[in-house]
Amino acid sequence: MNWREAKAVLEALIFASSEPVTIKEMSIITGLNEETVRTLLSEMAVEYNDQQRGIQIIEVAGGYQLVTKPEMAVYVEKLKKVPRQAPLSQAALETLAIIAYKQPITRAEIETIRGVRVESSLTTLLERGLIEETGRKEGPGRPILYGTTKEFLKYFGLKSLDELPVVDDWILNRQIEMDVTAD
Amino acid sequence: MVKSEILKGEKETYQVNLEVFSGPLDLLLHLIERSEIDIYNIPIVEITDQFLAYVQNMEFLDLQIAADFLLMAATLMQIKARMLLPRPVLETEEEALEEEDPRVELVEKLLEYKKVKEMAAQLQTKEQEASRYFPRTGGSFADLEVAAAVEPDERVTLWDLVQAFSTLLESLLPRFELKGMPEQQYSIQDKMDEILDRLARAPRLSFHALFAEQPSKKALITSFLALLELIRMGKVFVRQERIFGEIVIARWEGKT
Repeated sequence: MNWREAKAVLEALIFASSEPVTIKEMSIITGLNEETVRTLLSEMAVEYNDQQRGIQIIEVAGGYQLVTKPEMAVYVEKLKKVPRQAPLSQAALETLAIIAYKQPITRAEIETIRGVRVESSLTTLLERGLIEETGRKEGPGRPILYGTTKEFLKYFGLKSLDELPVVDDWILNRQIEMDVTAD
Repeated sequence: MVKSEILKGEKETYQVNLEVFSGPLDLLLHLIERSEIDIYNIPIVEITDQFLAYVQNMEFLDLQIAADFLLMAATLMQIKARMLLPRPVLETEEEALEEEDPRVELVEKLLEYKKVKEMAAQLQTKEQEASRYFPRTGGSFADLEVAAAVEPDERVTLWDLVQAFSTLLESLLPRFELKGMPEQQYSIQDKMDEILDRLARAPRLSFHALFAEQPSKKALITSFLALLELIRMGKVFVRQERIFGEIVIARWEGKT
């Protein structure tokens, strides 16, 4: 097949799938090597962007997905009543941030950092499929370890965990100097 | 955990989801940032007093978050006591160096927690961005209205709200005490409906106006809990147009 045909096939695959499609899957189906698939996809992404289209190809959670462009959101949301899902609460976001950066991690370890019980935010995050149990820690009680899921990457539009926002490590580098007098 | 008790219609058992409060470390950071205090040199007496005042307010509101907050209050008071105790005379410079400031552990926790807050804020930005992409097949529609983000300097923290509410409550209490009328019962659901209903008629609702016209203490507190719940559900937001200005309640735009 020529490259135009190949692009049409890739477009069809991504369109038909409800989940992001991986390069590997597309390579196996089309018989093209992974490098070629990657090149074609990046060309397609540019084409979608250049032309006045309402959709685009994005890379998310280790695969590729067709989505509407963000500037279309204002129209799309008028289309129908979309299922309302409340944004994550501050507490849930904090718990999730700790898990994302420090996984695998136990509940007790999260609670030490947040200084508060985190049972309810863990339940929320498990229910929404953003985290999962990844195993058990060796030691007394063998506590459950938690980690993030693929759904987590999709929900936040991340290609992989490497794409998590970088947080400044200033705390580790700064010398803690204390004034020893009471106020 | 999200308890959909609204759906059950069991008014009495309705519990406000307190996940909106991030915990004692969050309150401490709020107090420190508000007073523009150097985190490495916290005036422990002042901060302990302020912290305890908030805990009292929350107890008054019957918010069931006491345990973690009481633990922190105890820690603060312990540090305060240690700092006020006379120190033994130190023989050498080495001994002086070894003597640890009782605040060190708390400061380290606060710094670590501050980092967590920063990470959470970054995730929230990502969450908002991602909610504007619609995949072809269903998927999880994050709340679209969040995209209509509020300018950061207009944001009102929950601690600001508790503070504003407590001040208001104090000024209104004498009025209620004069009345000997039997109290009408209000559920949080009733009050949530009332707030949404008013916002359907006017785009903005003044925080002060909403509470000032409540007929009783119970109605007042129920209304406040209803407001917290609506904020958590992402149905309304509160903002302050300028510092120390009037707090206004508004619904997220674009939805009926």
